[in-house]
This record gives sequence, C-alpha cells and structure tokens, in this order.
Amino acid sequence: MRSKLYLWILWAAILVILILFPHVVGIYYTNVVVLFSIFSLYAITLNLLLGYTGLLSFGHALFFGGGAYATAIALTHIPGLPLIPAVLIGGLTAVVLALITSPLLVRVSGTAFAMLTLAFGQLMYVICLKFRNITGGEDGVGGFPIPPFTIPGVVSIDMTNPTNYYYFALIVVGLSILVIWFFTKTPFGQIIIGVRDNAQRVSYMGFKVPHTKALVFIISGGFAGIAGACYALLQNLVSTDGVLVIYMSFLPIMMAFIGGIGSFFGPICGAAILTILDELITMYTERVELVTGLVFILVVMFVPAGFTGLLASIKEKLFIKSSDQGIMEQAS
Amino acid sequence: MKSAKKILLLTIIFSFLCLLSLPQAMAGRAAFDVHKMSDMSDFDPNNPDIYTGKDAIRIGLLQIFSGAGAGNGEIFWLTCNWIAHDINKRGGILVDGKKKKVVFIKGDTKGKPADCKKAAERLILKDKCQFLWGTSGSHLTNIISQVAKKYKVIHQNSLACSDYLMDAKNFSRYTFQTFTRNSIFGQGGAYYYAKRNKEKKFYILCQDYSFGHSLADEFKIGLKKYFPEAQIVGEDYHPLFAKDFAPYVTKIKASGAEVIFSGDWLPDGGNLLKTCRDMGVDLPILNIFVDEPNALHAVGVEKTKGLVNMNHYMADLRTPERQKFFKVWDNLWRTKWKKPYNTWLYKVCGGTIAECVYSTYWLMSVIERAGSTDPEKIIKVWEGDEYEHPFGVWKMRADDHTNVRDLFISEYVPPEEQKASMTIPPYYWFKGISSIGKIITIPSKYCTPTLDPALKGRASK
Repeated sequence: MRSKLYLWILWAAILVILILFPHVVGIYYTNVVVLFSIFSLYAITLNLLLGYTGLLSFGHALFFGGGAYATAIALTHIPGLPLIPAVLIGGLTAVVLALITSPLLVRVSGTAFAMLTLAFGQLMYVICLKFRNITGGEDGVGGFPIPPFTIPGVVSIDMTNPTNYYYFALIVVGLSILVIWFFTKTPFGQIIIGVRDNAQRVSYMGFKVPHTKALVFIISGGFAGIAGACYALLQNLVSTDGVLVIYMSFLPIMMAFIGGIGSFFGPICGAAILTILDELITMYTERVELVTGLVFILVVMFVPAGFTGLLASIKEKLFIKSSDQGIMEQAS
Repeated sequence: MKSAKKILLLTIIFSFLCLLSLPQAMAGRAAFDVHKMSDMSDFDPNNPDIYTGKDAIRIGLLQIFSGAGAGNGEIFWLTCNWIAHDINKRGGILVDGKKKKVVFIKGDTKGKPADCKKAAERLILKDKCQFLWGTSGSHLTNIISQVAKKYKVIHQNSLACSDYLMDAKNFSRYTFQTFTRNSIFGQGGAYYYAKRNKEKKFYILCQDYSFGHSLADEFKIGLKKYFPEAQIVGEDYHPLFAKDFAPYVTKIKASGAEVIFSGDWLPDGGNLLKTCRDMGVDLPILNIFVDEPNALHAVGVEKTKGLVNMNHYMADLRTPERQKFFKVWDNLWRTKWKKPYNTWLYKVCGGTIAECVYSTYWLMSVIERAGSTDPEKIIKVWEGDEYEHPFGVWKMRADDHTNVRDLFISEYVPPEEQKASMTIPPYYWFKGISSIGKIITIPSKYCTPTLDPALKGRASK
C-alpha cells in the first residue's frame, strides 16, 4: 500500500517537473526534451520487435522516415491540413509500409529478417533520394506550414511556439507509449513473448506465428511512424540523412540495448542516456558517434542487460544482502 | 537691396546644406584597408587565440567539421579566426558604446540537414550567438536562413550559391547573401564561351541537390541568352561526396562533349578531375571549385592545363595593397603554419578563401557602422551598402539582399605562363600545377543575379 503511494507521488512529481520544465530551462533544452521523448517512443517501438518478439530489425528507419516524410509532404501539399490528421497520416503511412513488407518479413527470422529489413530501409532511402520532385532529394522537405492545434470553436494553439509544441509532443508520445504498454499487458502481448522464446511451441498451441509477427510489426511500425511525424513537426524539415539514413535504424537499437531490452522502460532510459551523452560530448568534440559507439560496445560487453538490468541486479543484491542480514540477526 | 538680401539668405542656406552633407561625402563607401590590418605575425590557425570573455560579438560558424566534407570546416575556421584575430588586436568593434571582441563559435553541420538545424539552434539558443555565418551547401544554408528568421538573428550566407535561397518564397530579411549566386556563374560562364566562340558542346555534371540543379539551370539560361548555338550533349547529377566518378566519365567520353561544366565542390571537384584524367578524358572543365591546389597537385601541370575556373576572387598583384596582403599571408604560410594549414591549399589567399575573408570583413564593417548587434540596425546599414575591397566593389542589393558583383574567369596555364597574373617574383602561383593565367573580368551587367519580380521594390516599401 505504502509503495503504491510512493509510486503515485513519484508520477505526480515527474508530471509537475515536465509541466514546469520549459518555463525553467528555456527553448534549447525544451527542444532537447522533445527530441528525447520522440526517440523514446521510437526506441520502444523497436523494442516491441526486438525485446518482446525477438526480431532484430536493421531497417526500422523505414517506418520512422516514412512517417516523417508522409507528414511533411502532406503538410506541403494539402493546404489547411489540421495537426492531428497530419500526425495520423505519418502513422498510417508507416502502417501501410509495414503491411506491404510484412508478407515477406514474417516468414523469416534471425539474420534473414535483419538483412531483409536492412534492404527495405535502404530501398526507401534511395527512393527518397532519387524522387527529388516529391521528396526534395538530398535537400529534403522543409519549411512546410506547421498547423495550430485546433478544437473548432474552442481553442487554437500555435504549434510553432516551442513551448506549445513541447506539451503537444509529450501528450502524443505519452499516449502512444501508454497504448503500447497496455498492448504488452494483454494476452496477445504474452503470446508475442512466447513467439520470442519458442515460436514452435506457440504454433503447436494453435496460434498463427506469422500472423502474430505481422500484427506486432504493424503496431510497431505504426507508432514509429507517429514518432517520425512528431519529429518532422519539431524539425520542420525532413531529409534522407535526417530520418532514413542507416544510423537512424541503428539508433533505436543502441537506445534499447543501452537502456535494456529486457524491460519496457529500458529504451526510455537508453534514449535519455544517449541524449545526455550527445549534449555533453558536443561541448568537447564533433565526434559524437565515436563516443556513443564506444559506450555501446562497453554496454554490450560488460552490461548486456543494459541500464535497467544493471539497476535490477544492484537492487537484487542489496535486497538479498539486507534480507540475509535480517535472517542472520533474527537467528542470533 | 531687398533682392540682394534674398540672394544672401539663399547663399547662406545653400552653404549650410553643403556643410551638412560634407561628412557623408567625405566618408565615401566603406572599404577594407590593408594598411589598418593588425600585425598578424602571431596568428596561428592551429591554436587560434579565441576570446573567452562573456561580453563579445558572438558569431556562429556553421560548417562541416566532421565526416567526408570536414576539409571545408578546416578552411573557414582559419579564415574566420583570421578576422577575429585582426579585429581583436585592433581592440574590437565599438557597439553600444563599448569596444567588443569578436569570437567565432563552431557549429558542425556534418553536411546533413538535420544536424545543421540542430547546430544552428544550438548556436543561437545555447551559445547565444548574435550572428550566423555559413555554409557550404545551399540546402543547409536554406535551413540556417529559416532558423535565423525564426529567432531574428542576422545570417551571412557566405558560402551558398543557389538563386532560390533569395527568391520570394525563401527570402528572409535576416539573411544577406555575400557569396556569388548561380545566376552569376551561369550567365558569366556562358558569356565567356560565347565570346570565345570555339567550343560549342557542353556536358553538365553537377551534384544531385538543389545547388547542382540550380547551377545547371542557370548555365542553360545563360547559354540561351548569350550562346544560342551551343549544345548540351549530356546532363548528369551525382550524389554529394560521390565515391566513384567512372560511370559519369564514361558517359562524358561517349557524348562528344568539348567542355565539361561542373559546380562540384570539395572533395567531389578534385575527385572528378582525377577520374577524368585517369580515364584519358582531357577536356577542359568549366568549374567553380576545381581550384583546390592539393587536388590539382595530385594530377600535375599537364593534366590541369586548360581547366577554366570561374571565381568570386581572382586578382593579379599589380597594386601595393594586394601585394601587402599577399606577402603577410604567404610569409605566415611559409614560416609559421603547421599541418593542415601548411599544405598547398592555404598557400595563396585566393578564390573562395579570399572571398570569405573579405566578405567577413564586410560583416565586421557593417556591425561597426551600425554601432550595434541589433538585427534591425544591421539590416538598415547593410541594405544597399557598397563595400570596396582589393579586387573591386560589392553592392548589397536592397530588394533581395544579394551581392551584385563582377565575375572572374581564367584558363589555367603552366607555371611559366602564370606571370600574366602573378606579377611579382617568383612570377608563378604554383610550380607543380597549372593555375591562373590571364584574368578575364565579366562585368556585373553581363551576369546580374536574377531578382525575383515579387521582391522588386521590397526595400523601399
């Protein structure tokens, strides 16, 4: 009962900090937090594949970038397109991309799955680079209008204001993470863990493994698309090097690994660690990727369970130690 | 008597008005004065003396400092710190009643749009820069321009050429384009070949992004205007920082072209030249940035002969001012600078390097005359401003903030013929390569940057 109360207090404190944050730290760090939240969602969608279903995707940027491009292009060409539909277009485009690629992808696993996703990701990269009349090629799509958040007759909030966009992005990302979290807690969410641990057994139990994989793939892709849409609105610019480059596929993998793929909230920790690292490293050198790459290697070698795994093991050790001591004291 | 009084009164009023306008007439146009330049003998680009105090004029230098195009960042880190060193040794610039030092702060664009935006915002919001400077790549410059507009910060477009950056759609009153525009290169290059009237078959090979496409379009417009009998025998666009030029060169070979037209900048320009020559294609390349001496040294005198370079800056050394600047720079290069600043690239302050030096001095002059870093005051001074430098006069067209200027073209010649422009001993610019020979100036009236009709008269409104 007491621990539940502590948890509520903790959540309330986090909420208060998040509400006050832009008014305390200024625009720059407000944007950093928005970027962190978007990457958190992106990393969580990847972890849905990697951590929960055991599918390592090397081409997740296909959905993130697809969503970002769809939102940017829609806002460029559809005058007066409202904000929420613009975000949903990003998500839906990613869902369509997942639907198109899943018939091939769900029939393979392991290295073949990784390579195929890599191929699809790169295909999208080249397509966007070459169709410059639509995608702007190397230049990308930028300077598109950012619509206000409008409830007709009630309110219209300017989304070019960084503080307003901060709240909007946080709500969209928060709701998306909440939906994914609920999804993992459903019976279907347990089946996908079964697919990861023993697909054959799940199949013997009567569940269709390819269909299950396809559904996870679509959900994961869809929310990655929403993350991409939010990213497009934040940057007001979408380019192949920004959203579809191979690094953007590896980034959520690094976040998930560093944070811990065994935990739902691990990727959020990973995103936070990489964001903070990025800010710190940039103060001293331009070689950010060199340092983050080194950190990634160290985590894989020495802390394979990631940050949340490390915390859990420390907690376990302390807890066992203190309970052991308690038993010894009682015995004496 | 009455009329005599009237005449006297009119004479007094007239004399008074003349006296009022005298200081303005005496001031003339702003100019770079090499004789006022500080003693630069202690300038070390490897360890620049960067002012660390808080009360400074802070300029965000946006460039590629990592990855394939990092050489670009290296160049402009030197040029900008040269200016800061000189100005700071003079005591700084008087703004808001106080002399303030100048400091350039690095922002790494990595040559990528997303990183560029992040770096620009970081410079404004975190490092509190009052000005943005840069950058290589029109697509990146457009982003910087939009960021500068959003946060109301002056942006000097010192390195991007695309005309669309200053059209009605993208125009920002906070951005000033000091760099040469594609329409100048396109028209100037076409005018040069029209007057030459020898080669008529052109092959266009440019980088596959806005700058490359825009430059090619402007060249085609120029040919139509000045050289209608010319023929485009092929047109190709390669990715930025391409790894392999062989497929493009093969197509050029088969096309029957007499001239290759390319806007490729570092490192693409050098790689294109090397591949051409390695594959036996000795055609002249009408270029802007294939003037990088290290890349030219890799192919030698014979294979660089006949390159036709269009440039923002080309000048012989006939005036004492030009000679003085040349000697100060050359002496430091020979005696003091260490790697990478002791390579051929930095031997002569010419081409884009010189362009950036003088255009940054122009910015300094504008700040000085505005007496403030307030964007509105800067805009007021810079719009319609004229600035004199060792090789001519620049004019900032008020309507679209574009630098109206002459263009220089030269056919590269072996060292023994370089005395046409290198007029002091040893009478050659470089011994191991062909370089600038006779300099042809294309006056701005033949290569006026295109003004978007929608912007015409904007400044006077």
